[in-house]
Amino acid sequence: MESFYVLKKSDLDRFIRQLSRSRKVVAPVSRGVKNFVFAEVTSAAQISIQSIPTILPPKKYFMPQCEKIQEFNREIHQWNPVVEANGEVVLFGVHTCDLAGIQFLNTVMDVVPRDVNYAVHKQKIVVIGLECNDYCDEYASCRVMKNHLPNGGYDLFLTELKDVFMVHGGSAAGEKIVKEAGIFLKPDAAHKKELEDIRKKKEMIFKDEVNVKREDLRGVFERSVQSDVWENLGGRCVACGNCTNVCPTCYCFDIKDELDLNLKTGCRTRIWDSCQNEEFAKVAGGESFRHNRGQRQRHRFMRKFTYPVGKFSVYACTGCGRCSRTCMAKINLKETINELAGAVK
Amino acid sequence: MGNPRVAFFDFSSCEGCQLQVANMGEDLLAVLGAIDVVEFREVMSEKGEYDVAVIEGSITTSHDVERIKKIRAKAKVLIAYGSCATTGGVNGMKNNFELDDIRNYVYQKAAKYFETIPTRAVHQVVPVDYSVNGCPVYLPEFVKVLKCALAGIPYKVPDHAVCVECKLNENECMYDKGLTCLGPVTKAGCNSWCVNNNNVCYGCRGMVTNPAENGAKDILAKHDIPIEWVENKMNMYNKAREFDKKEEDHGKKC
Repeated sequence: MESFYVLKKSDLDRFIRQLSRSRKVVAPVSRGVKNFVFAEVTSAAQISIQSIPTILPPKKYFMPQCEKIQEFNREIHQWNPVVEANGEVVLFGVHTCDLAGIQFLNTVMDVVPRDVNYAVHKQKIVVIGLECNDYCDEYASCRVMKNHLPNGGYDLFLTELKDVFMVHGGSAAGEKIVKEAGIFLKPDAAHKKELEDIRKKKEMIFKDEVNVKREDLRGVFERSVQSDVWENLGGRCVACGNCTNVCPTCYCFDIKDELDLNLKTGCRTRIWDSCQNEEFAKVAGGESFRHNRGQRQRHRFMRKFTYPVGKFSVYACTGCGRCSRTCMAKINLKETINELAGAVK
Repeated sequence: MGNPRVAFFDFSSCEGCQLQVANMGEDLLAVLGAIDVVEFREVMSEKGEYDVAVIEGSITTSHDVERIKKIRAKAKVLIAYGSCATTGGVNGMKNNFELDDIRNYVYQKAAKYFETIPTRAVHQVVPVDYSVNGCPVYLPEFVKVLKCALAGIPYKVPDHAVCVECKLNENECMYDKGLTCLGPVTKAGCNSWCVNNNNVCYGCRGMVTNPAENGAKDILAKHDIPIEWVENKMNMYNKAREFDKKEEDHGKKC
C-alpha cells in the first residue's frame, strides 16, 4: 500500500529540530563556493536544500573514511573485531543518485562473507531522500543511469512541491518517524496532481546525457579494452585519486595496523584506498599490475560499467557526476563514454 | 631491560621539528614512558650512548658528512626527521646557485672561513631506516614511525598525492579557489594538514615518485598558471631531489 504524506514547508524546521533532539541528523550543508558536505544539523536553516552532490557521498556514514575494525594483543595473539557504532543517524536530503549508490553498496557488502562493520552502521541509519526537480549541473548523467527518479532505498522520500513536501514512506522506520513527528498530513488530490506534473516535467528536462543507450553501455566498454581513449586519459590524469574517493560506489580499502606505545596492543584500521594511487596495484618486488595511469583509468571505468554488471547485474555508475566535477585534469565521464562509443561504431 | 635510548641530533635546520616534539604536550609523557632520551639539545644537554638516532637537518658541510657517518655507525636505527633531513628541505635552495657565489653572498668577507658543499638529504649520504617527512613533522606520523622503529617493523611513507587525504577530509579544492597548491604532486601522510587550515600545500613532504608531468602541465595551463611558479614553489623544499636522480641511492628509499 502506498503511503503518502505532506509536510508543510513551514514545518520543515520543526521537523529537523524534533529529529535532532534524539538522533544525529546529517544533511548537505554549504562548504565554500559550489561545494557541499553532509554534516550534522540541528535546524532547517543549516541545510542546503538546493545543492549539487556533496564532495563525499553519504557512503561515509556506512563505511567511514578511516575506521577501526580490530583490536589486538600480539603477546597473547588475540584479535577482537570492533565496530565503533554511533547512535541512530538520520541522513536527510539524499538525492536519488546517492540512494542508488547506497543500494549498490548494500548489495556488495551483503555478499558472504558479509561486511559486519557496514551492516552494523547500516542498521543505525535512517535515509530520507530528496527529489531533484531539475538537473544539479552539467556533470550529472542520472537520466541515462535511470537514477533521476526515486527507485527505493529510502525510509522516507521528499519531493518539493509549491507549499509542501510530498513525502513517501518507504519503510517501517520511515513510518515511525512520521508518526512520532505528528506534523505530517494526508495529501489531497491537488498535491498528488502537483507531484504527477513534476514527474511529467522531469521527463521533458532529463534526457539521456550520452549518445549510448543504457543497455548498450556494457557492450561499449567491453569492446573498448584496447581503445586509444585510455592512453589519452592516462596522459592527462595526475593520479590524485579524487575520482574514486568521491565515488558513491567505490569501496576499496587498505588495512593498517598500528601499535600502542607499549608495543604489545594496538588496533587495525581500514582506510579508503584508490585504484588510481601509485601503490594500489603494487606487489612484492615493486612490480605493479597497473603501472600506467591510462590502465588505472580504464580499470576505474570497467569497475563501473562491465565487472559489476557480470557479478550483480547492475551498473556501478549512479550518474551523480562527482568524478567529472572533481577531476583535476577535467576528465569527463560523459565525454569519455561518447568518445568510446564513437570509436567502437 | 631498559627503554631504548633515543638521541636527537640536528644538522642544518631550524630545530623546529624538535620543538614540535617538545610541544607535544601530554602525549609526550606517554612517549617518554617508552623511550629514554639521551640527547636532545632543545631541552637537555646530556651526552651518552644511544640505540635510535633521530636526525633533524640536512647535510651541508664536509664536517656534517663526517659527523653523520659517525652517528650512523653508532646507531642501531636511524630516523631522518623533518623536510631538511628527508628531502634537503629549504636548505636545498642553496643548490640553485654556484657554491662560491652563494657563500660569498651569505658570509661576505668571512666567506673563506665557511666551507660548504651542496645540500643533501640524510639518505643521500648514509643509509636511513625510517623517514618522517614534513616541515615541520606531523606529530601523529612521528609517533607512528617511532613505534614502528621501536617494534622493528617497517614504515612506508605514502607515495600517493596529498589530494587523497584532502578529499577524504572534504576540503574545498584550492584550485577551485584560484590558488596554486602542490597537493597533486606531493606525498601524503600529513592528513592534508595545511589545507585543513586553509593554506595551500607547499610540497614539504617531497614529490611522489612518479609524478604525472604532462598531466600536471595541462592542469596548470587550464588554470592559467605559469609552470615556473610551480617549479619555484616545488624547489623551495625539493631542490636536493636532483641527487636522487643523479646518484646511486645510498640509503633505503622510504
